[in-house]
Amino acid sequence: MLRPVSASFVASVAFLRIQDFASRSASEQARQRAQLEAVVAVTTAELAPASRIVLDASDGVVIVVFANPQGALRLAERALSASLAGLPLCAGLNHGAVRVLGGTGGEGQAMVGDGIAVAASVAQFAPAAELRASRAFRDALAEAAPGQEASLVPKGAASDASLRSHELFTRDRTELPRRRRTYAALSVAAVVVLLGTGIGWRVSVHGKEAFVADLAAKYRATTVQGERYVRGLVQKVKFQ
Amino acid sequence: MSKKKQAQIARYRVLGELGRGAMGVVYRAEDPALDRVVALKTILLSDDVENRKEYEKRFAIEARAAGKLNHPNIVTTFDFGEEGDLAFLAMELLEGTDLRTRLKDGALATEEAVEITLQVAEGLAFAHERGVVHRDVKPGNIMLLERGGAKIMDFGIARMHSEDFKTSTGMVLGTPRFMSPEQIAGGAVDQRSDIFSLGVVLYEMLTGQMLFAGADSPQIAHNVTTLEHEPPSRRNREVSSLLDFVVARALKKDPAVRYQDAYELASDLRTCLAELQGRSPAEVKRDTTKTVKLARKTDSKLPAPKAAAIAPSTRLSLCRQFDSRAALKRLAAAGRFDRAALTRTPRPVGFLRRVCRDAGPRLLFVCSLVAAAAGSYIAFA
Repeated sequence: MLRPVSASFVASVAFLRIQDFASRSASEQARQRAQLEAVVAVTTAELAPASRIVLDASDGVVIVVFANPQGALRLAERALSASLAGLPLCAGLNHGAVRVLGGTGGEGQAMVGDGIAVAASVAQFAPAAELRASRAFRDALAEAAPGQEASLVPKGAASDASLRSHELFTRDRTELPRRRRTYAALSVAAVVVLLGTGIGWRVSVHGKEAFVADLAAKYRATTVQGERYVRGLVQKVKFQ
Repeated sequence: MSKKKQAQIARYRVLGELGRGAMGVVYRAEDPALDRVVALKTILLSDDVENRKEYEKRFAIEARAAGKLNHPNIVTTFDFGEEGDLAFLAMELLEGTDLRTRLKDGALATEEAVEITLQVAEGLAFAHERGVVHRDVKPGNIMLLERGGAKIMDFGIARMHSEDFKTSTGMVLGTPRFMSPEQIAGGAVDQRSDIFSLGVVLYEMLTGQMLFAGADSPQIAHNVTTLEHEPPSRRNREVSSLLDFVVARALKKDPAVRYQDAYELASDLRTCLAELQGRSPAEVKRDTTKTVKLARKTDSKLPAPKAAAIAPSTRLSLCRQFDSRAALKRLAAAGRFDRAALTRTPRPVGFLRRVCRDAGPRLLFVCSLVAAAAGSYIAFA
C-alpha cells in the first residue's frame, strides 16, 4: 500500500503524441496505441523505474521523468525514431510542476500539473517525427548537463489555444559538434593572443635582437640540458 | 385534463395510460379510422398565447420531420395534432421495456450493449441524414423490443419544452447527464451532439454506472464539460481496448474531434461486435439498406485532437501497461535530499559549474590559463 502523495514535484515531461489520431478508425487507433506502448516499453527501459511515471493521454502517452532531463530528451528521441517504422509520432518536452492525485494505491491514480499542460501544448506545435521543447526544459537540461542545452536551438514562439505563449526549441544534432569546433578555435586563438602578448611585451622592453639572442641561448641551454638528461637515463639503463 | 379528453383525444379513443413524463401523459389509444392501436403522446400546451403560437409552429415542424423517419430503429410517428390545451403525437405502440428500466438491473452484457448502441446509431444516422437531430438521446428514449432490437423514440420534440427555459447563462434546465458539452453551453447542436449522448448511454450500458454523476444539475453539467472519463475497461474487464477507443471518440468534448456522423460510429461498433463474436471485421455484414452517406461538415482528414484541448484539465490517468509504483513510492517516501532534488526548479548555470562540467568552455579556460602563464613567463622571466 502506498501513502498518498499530495506535494507538487518538478519533473521533465515528455508528451509523445500520435499525429491525426482522432481522424483514424478505431481499429487503426488501437493498432497505433499498441505500437506506441511497445515503443514506450523499449524507451523507458533505460530509465530507473523509480524515476518515471507513464500516463495515458487521449492521443498519446506522457512520460514524467524525475531529476533526469537528459533521460527525458534521450527517451523522446528514441521514441521518435519509431516514426521510421510507420508510427506518426511527435514529442513535446517540458520541465514543470506535476502532482499526483488519487488514492493510496497505484490503481485510479492520476497526475495533473502545469508541467503536463505545457508539454501537451508544445507537442501540438511539433511536426511529424520532430520534437519541440519549452524554455523551461532547456534550462533544466542546461542545469543537469551544462552544454547539452546547445543542441536545443530556437524554433520560434507560438501561442496555444489558451493564448499562452511558448518559446519553442528543437533538437539540432549538428549544433554540439559545431560548438565544440568553435570552442577549440577560440582556445587556439586565446593561446596565440596570450603568447603573442607575452612575446610582444618582451620585445618592446628589451628589443628584438636581445629577445632573439636570449631565446636562442635558452634554446641551446635547454637542448644541452636535454641531451645530458637523456644520456643520464641511457647510462642508468645500461648499468641496470 | 378532463375525463372527456382522456376518453377521446381528437379521433383517438383512449384505452389506458402507458406512462407519465415531464411533458405529458402517454396513452394507449385506438385509431378507429385505421383500426389500429397506437401510443398517443400528449404534451400540455402553454397558456401564454405568444409562447403557445411559437411552440405550435415548432411542434408541427418537428413532428412532420419525425413523421418522415421510417426506419426499423426509429419509432414511427403516424400522426400529430392538437386538441384543446393538448398537442399529441400518435406513434407506433411497442411491446417491450425501455433501456432506463433495464439499466436498473446493472450493466448489460458487452455484446448486447454494443448491439443496442449499433442499432440506435443506425437509427440516428438515418435521421441525421434527413436533417433531424434527436437532442435527447438517453436510456429513457430507447425502447428494447420483446422480439429483440432497439428503437429510439421522441425525435426532435423531446427538448422543445426545456429549450424554452434557458437561463441567463444559456444553461438548459433539466438533467444534463446525457447532454453534450455544447448542448449544456447552450450553443447550436448538430448530429455530433447525439453521438456524444449515445456515447454516454453506451458507457453506462457497459459499466452499469453513471458516467457523469453529481449532487445537482450544475454539478453534473460541470462534470460533462470538464471531466475526462475513465476507460470503461477499467470498470468492466470484458470491454476490449477497441471498444475503449470507440467510447473515447464518441465522448470527445470537442465536437470537431468526435465521430462526425453516426454511420462512422456504427461502422466502428460493427467492428467491435465482430471482435466480441470472434469474427474477423471483414466478415461483418454491411447494412445494404443504407442510403447515401451524409457529406461531412468538415474535411475527412480532421486535425488531430489539439493537445491544448487536453491542457485545461491536464488530469491524466496512470498507464496500466506500465508499472509506476516504484516512482510513486519514491515520491511518497522521499527523503530530505531527494525531496529537495525533486522539487527544485532549475537555476542558471554559474561560471564555475560551467567550467567544470561543460567541455567547450573548460578547454577555452584551461588553454587561456596555460597560455597566460606561458605569456607571463615569456614577458617577465
